[in-house]
Amino acid sequence: MDKQASAGQELPEALARLLPAYMARQRWYAGGGVPPTSLHCLASGQLVPPAGGGEGAGYRVLWALVEAGGDHYQLFIGERPTAELAEHISKADDAVVGSAGDRTFYDATVDPEMAVEILGALTGGAQTAKHARLVGAEQSNTSVVYDDRLILKFFRRVPPGPNLDAEVTTALAAAGFAHVAQPLVRWQRDGRDLAFGQQYLAGGTDGWALALTSLRDFYATSPEAGAADPALSGGDFAAEATRLGQVTAEMHIALAQSFGADHQYLAGAWPGWLDQLWSRVELLHPSLVEGAGPLFEALRSVEHPGPAIRAHGDYHLGQVMRTDAGWYVLDFEGEPGRPVEQRLQPTSALKDVAGMLRSFQYAAWSALGEHSHEQAGWLEPLALAWEQRNRQAFLRGYRGHPGTAALLPTGRRDFEAVRLAFELDKALYELSYEEAHRKAWVGLPLAALHRLLSSPVEQLLAEVPEDAGAVDDGEPASPLGPGRP
Amino acid sequence: MRAVTPVSGTASQDVRWYQRAVFYEILVRGFFDSNDDGTGDLAGVTAKLDYISWLGVDCIWLLPFYQSPLRDGGYDISDYWSVLPEYGQIADVVQLVDEAHRRGIRVISDLVMNHTSDQHPWFVESRRDRANPKADWYVWSDDDQRYKQARVIFVDTEKSNWAWDPVRGQYYWHRFFSHQPDLNYDNPEVAETMLDVVRYWLDVGIDGFRLDAVPYLFEREGTNCENLPETHQYLKRLRKEVDLLYPGKVLLAEANQWPVDVVQYFGDGDECHMCFHFPLMPRMFMAVRREQRFPITEILARTPPVPEGASWGIFLRNHDELTLEMVTDEERDYMYAEYAKDPRMKRNIGIGRRLATLVDNDRRVAELLHSLLFSLPGSPVLYYGDEIGMGDNIYLGDRDSVRTPMQWSPDRNAGFSKADFAQLYLPPLMDPVYGYQAVNVEAQMRNPSSLLHWMRRMLEVRRQHPVFGTGTMEVVSTDNPSVLAYVRAPHASSGAGASSGAGQGAPPSGAGQGGGPPAGQVPGEQEPVEGTVLCVCNLSRFAQPAQLPLERWEGMVPVELLGRAPFPPIGPQPYFVTLAPYGFYWFVLAKPPPGQAHQEVRDGQAGLGRPGAA
Repeated sequence: MDKQASAGQELPEALARLLPAYMARQRWYAGGGVPPTSLHCLASGQLVPPAGGGEGAGYRVLWALVEAGGDHYQLFIGERPTAELAEHISKADDAVVGSAGDRTFYDATVDPEMAVEILGALTGGAQTAKHARLVGAEQSNTSVVYDDRLILKFFRRVPPGPNLDAEVTTALAAAGFAHVAQPLVRWQRDGRDLAFGQQYLAGGTDGWALALTSLRDFYATSPEAGAADPALSGGDFAAEATRLGQVTAEMHIALAQSFGADHQYLAGAWPGWLDQLWSRVELLHPSLVEGAGPLFEALRSVEHPGPAIRAHGDYHLGQVMRTDAGWYVLDFEGEPGRPVEQRLQPTSALKDVAGMLRSFQYAAWSALGEHSHEQAGWLEPLALAWEQRNRQAFLRGYRGHPGTAALLPTGRRDFEAVRLAFELDKALYELSYEEAHRKAWVGLPLAALHRLLSSPVEQLLAEVPEDAGAVDDGEPASPLGPGRP
Repeated sequence: MRAVTPVSGTASQDVRWYQRAVFYEILVRGFFDSNDDGTGDLAGVTAKLDYISWLGVDCIWLLPFYQSPLRDGGYDISDYWSVLPEYGQIADVVQLVDEAHRRGIRVISDLVMNHTSDQHPWFVESRRDRANPKADWYVWSDDDQRYKQARVIFVDTEKSNWAWDPVRGQYYWHRFFSHQPDLNYDNPEVAETMLDVVRYWLDVGIDGFRLDAVPYLFEREGTNCENLPETHQYLKRLRKEVDLLYPGKVLLAEANQWPVDVVQYFGDGDECHMCFHFPLMPRMFMAVRREQRFPITEILARTPPVPEGASWGIFLRNHDELTLEMVTDEERDYMYAEYAKDPRMKRNIGIGRRLATLVDNDRRVAELLHSLLFSLPGSPVLYYGDEIGMGDNIYLGDRDSVRTPMQWSPDRNAGFSKADFAQLYLPPLMDPVYGYQAVNVEAQMRNPSSLLHWMRRMLEVRRQHPVFGTGTMEVVSTDNPSVLAYVRAPHASSGAGASSGAGQGAPPSGAGQGGGPPAGQVPGEQEPVEGTVLCVCNLSRFAQPAQLPLERWEGMVPVELLGRAPFPPIGPQPYFVTLAPYGFYWFVLAKPPPGQAHQEVRDGQAGLGRPGAA
């Protein structure tokens, strides 16, 4: 596996001195821009040796696992003659660690030539590529696409133990769930996931972008046309939403198969969880709290909230990719804000369902935000109509899948009540998130909370028509499967 | 002007001409009336060959011109050996073919092998009793219970595939109209006679056939009576005969089936040279209306590679309804809702409209769709009149809505005929938007910015780049769902037996295929080849940006094909382009001019190619 990265080889002293200031500049560093006061190298080594050996030419790649401020980080440091730098990396100051003599250290993932070598080194030559492309540094990792065929995620903050995404994706692929990108590389050290490579979904586009395409088309309907029916708009998203519901159902079936389903857990935890939910509701504005009684009554009267499974945990339109082979699900790390132990807890499959339903509202309102205030005023009914249509389409696809029955509350009323509870949970979470980070968005979860807490309960419980589950029975997830004579 | 190479009568220098050809479908009845009787004729087509040549067409496809009672637009043939008198005589066919060949244009014709008219002497004889010499030339049965699994195709008019014949006192089999009895190919005399028909017309000089309704030649109990092995066997026999005696002629199959079934009609390169790609057509319209590429890329990903030397025939519209048999129920509902808002627009399982009316006469969409037609894998087939944006008349019966007279000029009867108006086979369009006063060849010839001139220019550019006809295809990823980008590349080594099929660039492999690279990425591993073309189009009615991962072609310069303007060179970062609403680009990827240093290439890239760069 990591044949060259032999432990114990110390980093060059010049580099070690430059690292604290470099780390402070990185998005993935948790220290909030302040250089770590102490930096311990836990392991390090030379991942890619200098090409051709001598005469100071060429480059090499160093690897290190360091501890700073209580967290563990993984570094891939490239080293090249400073004179050659401009040819290999674009102007990206943050990626440069610094120079020592006539050589410069920098983040090796931004250098396509080095990135290609790293892939070979991590896989012992099992995976090779000609081209590498950095596709963006996120909070917790850096991703590089190789030959439009493989995407390799380098984890930056690396707690000990397996990475949830790598673990769940691998399990789902092994269970035969066709809608995750196939795992191709898993680089671990002492049980710790350091890099994870998957089939790159070439030609794919994420659900959020696709939903916005549909919404922009719909909102561009001229007002005098009076067509506030998203079913009549060219960019209708409902067929996609239905297929997404079907894939979501398949995902839950595969998750239950891989990680088991607990039929007691949720029933036991339900009353306490509702109390907790109530205590969060109580913190809201009194006008919202006063109407909440009937809903909670309905939630408390749930006979059995159904089994608990390992869910996706952070399911929304940004986590799904539309490809020529249908929808694919990404990123099984769970809600990044929650501690790992919480993310591992089994929960209802409806937590994911609620997450996606909430995402439809976010998409509809986010596209609304692209318009002026006055326009947004008359577009609002359209946003509502789009959201409603796609919620129902998604649920139709989800409930229409025969395999989900065993994973859901049995009665229809229980199903709807548990779904509402998780929507409420999600909206409360969104509210606190937006209050802390994006004040301008607060209205969005507030509108949802208003709807959930102030609408007549019977109306909420009957939001999706009774026949919703039956319509598309037998329509497989493949968009081209049926219709064949 | 194009350089014209006359088509030589015998063994042509290029037996695979059809792979690079542009086809033009002509309804003889509706093209031009040379004898003022109100009906178009073969001499009329001959008279308009200069126009067809000017447009840049390589091959014309004539709808059936054989003797027929015309209850199905001539697809109900009552004599295979003679020409419908209204259209002319055999001599007119010979003259048309000769004149076309002199201009470097080939001529193929429709051949209906599956069935005849019920007025064909064969059927007249066959129905007489159960013992005459032709008694077994059609499919007869005492009851109507056989072959129950075969679907009814013309659902608007037919309830069963069996029809009762009171004369013979038996049922006869018909997959289409009840006045079109199916021939019995299990009878060796029928099989042999149809080969005679083929030889006869090839001897006349026809360059090949569009084979109508080929999936239905044979019937077998317990099957849906489509795509049977016996049918393929017969087509192989036909191909062998054609290749042996008439090299360079083409067989183009009409098999309205899913790609995986249609490719069977290519055989191992020993059945049809070409097949129509039916499912692609509605999906091009769907992609534009949905403003996303998936309807197109999905069907391409599901299109298997074709054998060496074979080609798809692709089209936007033809003389039939825009057929919706090869879509899912959900997609059909969608297409009806979007493109057939008036129920009168529906025909059988499809939509009876022309291109211009389907796209609400939006020139930008018409151009975008044609840019797809001319650059996706396959040979494009144009339908007469679409090059000037003709409309339709949905109040005419059956499929006549899209079969109105060609609009040549603003003169009486659209310049189509000098007959009395009342004598015309169908009235020309006269409405203010699509009528011949507004839309006609003469006016568009005079206007350099007309759709007609645009078409001609596009065909000219296409002809300069054979890669459009024979190259591989690979979809280029982009995050923007409204943008479709693909690369057409010459085969790395000719004769490698690789496909020129559409199925390249298929993204994710399905379950159980883990480990290996996704199918269809093979071309991606090739080194950049000279002559590679990059197509980028915007399926949305709004302007769109796109970032294209083109690092494999780093250092190459995209040169826009219509204006020859060089764009900034491709760098190591994703290539950034912006597209106007319904806009598209065709780029040839060229090597940078000699002397331009590597470093300069990078600097050029920094300007346009890397939007994020400071």
